[in-house]
Amino acid sequence: MGKTLFEKIWDAHVVVEKEDGPSLIYVDRHLVHEVTSPQAFEGLRMNNRSVRRPDLTIATMDHNVPTNDRSLPILDQISKIQIQTLEKNCKDFGIQLFDINSPNQGIVHVIGPQLGITLPGSTIVCGDSHTSTHGAFGSLAFGIGTSEVEHVLALQTLWLEKPTSFEIKVEGKRKNIHAVTAKDIILSIIKNIGTAGGTGTIIEYTGEGISDLSMEERMTICNMSIEAGARAGLVAPDEKTFDYLRNRKYTPKNYESLIGDWRENLKSDSDAKFSKSYTLNIDNIAPQVSWGTNPGMTCDVTDSVPNPEDYSKGDQNQKQAAEKALEYMNLKPDTPITEIKIDRVFIGSCTNARLDDLIEASKVIKGQKVSDKVRAMVVPGSQMVKKQAEEMGIDKIFINANFEWREAGCSMCLGMNPDVLSPGERCASTSNRNFEGRQGVGGRTHLVSPVMAAAAAINGHFVDVRNLDLN
Amino acid sequence: MIGHVIKYQRDNIDTDVIIPGQYLKIHDYAELATHAMEGLDPNFHSKVKEGDFILSGRNFGCGSSREHAPIALSHSGIKAVLALSFARIFYRNAVDGAFLLPIEIDETAYQNISEGDEISIDVKSNEIKNITKNQTYKMKPFSEIIGKIIEAGGLFKYKPD
Repeated sequence: MGKTLFEKIWDAHVVVEKEDGPSLIYVDRHLVHEVTSPQAFEGLRMNNRSVRRPDLTIATMDHNVPTNDRSLPILDQISKIQIQTLEKNCKDFGIQLFDINSPNQGIVHVIGPQLGITLPGSTIVCGDSHTSTHGAFGSLAFGIGTSEVEHVLALQTLWLEKPTSFEIKVEGKRKNIHAVTAKDIILSIIKNIGTAGGTGTIIEYTGEGISDLSMEERMTICNMSIEAGARAGLVAPDEKTFDYLRNRKYTPKNYESLIGDWRENLKSDSDAKFSKSYTLNIDNIAPQVSWGTNPGMTCDVTDSVPNPEDYSKGDQNQKQAAEKALEYMNLKPDTPITEIKIDRVFIGSCTNARLDDLIEASKVIKGQKVSDKVRAMVVPGSQMVKKQAEEMGIDKIFINANFEWREAGCSMCLGMNPDVLSPGERCASTSNRNFEGRQGVGGRTHLVSPVMAAAAAINGHFVDVRNLDLN
Repeated sequence: MIGHVIKYQRDNIDTDVIIPGQYLKIHDYAELATHAMEGLDPNFHSKVKEGDFILSGRNFGCGSSREHAPIALSHSGIKAVLALSFARIFYRNAVDGAFLLPIEIDETAYQNISEGDEISIDVKSNEIKNITKNQTYKMKPFSEIIGKIIEAGGLFKYKPD
């Protein structure tokens, strides 16, 4: 019987395998950031351990770094200590660090691919759930906790139970590729399979709807696999993948000689068995807007806020969850999505802050101004994205429209740095989680694509971007 | 293991409500614990007692990989979380650091156990006894590796045979 792509990568990384038991899996790349690593390094010190493969370990600071002027001192003393601790740890243990002043600093999942650290067929871990992003390159990439971070630092391996393979086939063609984006595809998937629909699985995204996507769009899809409960998302590498990684800063010297094997082997066999499958046709999907407090609580921009009674289809738990969500979001059932007024716009995060995201969003706002009721900000995913955008004049389009143009970091995606919503504020956000309080205590998040967020900034409420000229 | 139950009858309790992002900078676990569940239940810290259990629905601990989530619960006194299902990273974090036991229960246990009930958990026989109501439920046994890591007292004490 054939193997799935996931099984091939897994098998190639098994160090020890126990029958019906866990496997010890080798880790090719370990990405480290300031928030989930301090206790892990502390553990190494306490036990007199070193980092086994500092050459396979790369660090940056992204979660709590300020996104305003980098020449200014960091005012939050606790953040400052966390940032200094990572600097010291990287120095002590011989790990390459892209610090706050590095031109390569950025969100760990944006810089990995940009620097050619992410490679097809490799295993990648990081103490961050959105590590699944790297799966867009056909690498098995997943988030781990701090104890596991310590384990990988010390041993370059992890004890894991083997997940199963879940195929999500995306069929059809979007009619307007500027208005209906990868974000709308993944939100549609989560809306349909639920936030636990992928639990215990590695999702492999297949079909024309995926192969048509750019690498940046595929990253958006894989990024949110974790919001469907999956451990990771995967896309089989193709020529787009190989082209993207060519001539990056850390692309291996023998890169061209690796491609032949990847092209040949890094795909699921035609007779491979998936434990589960789901198909989405995207011919007619609409831009998506989340209305509730988890990413599965999402609907079309042309819909209205659902009535908990209808939404739950008789499931009392669901009904209660929808009622609580609407209460938190301060929304009334049957309100058209396009009538929801917003206070803030956040274009950023590892989901949607790459160069293409910013280019697409800029098309919406060219020559226009942000509504005077809205405060809008753009936080590029990395300093490299920021620089490229500035070279293209994209920054000017945002700044002229009264967007704030900031330095790279996770920023308002998780509200660890000063970029937070005030209680009650409503935000159109290109990030990945609309959990209660995620973007600040009492803040209300609506997940949308970059073009939807930009259009909401101009209009002060959601609009169907299919009606705009985006070419 | 005997304790009282704090029940949250809902699915998808995420790590952002278990320990909101703004507190991830805190290194002192006792201080971290004062903010546990703050995003969902601001009274949690005042009502939780050493040895208590949390009971909840599906997909408990979804979201971020922050190990601060089981740490904050554990340092609040929580010894186990009983849920219909768990998000994978939370589940492993709870076990790896020996912070608390993640116990998978069925619908019967979920519906019958109430806030404040005194229950005992026996992971050897995979049984949960409701002392208050004099009922017994089954829990899902731990997988081999999880059982061994728990028995060893955490990932770093676990020695494969």
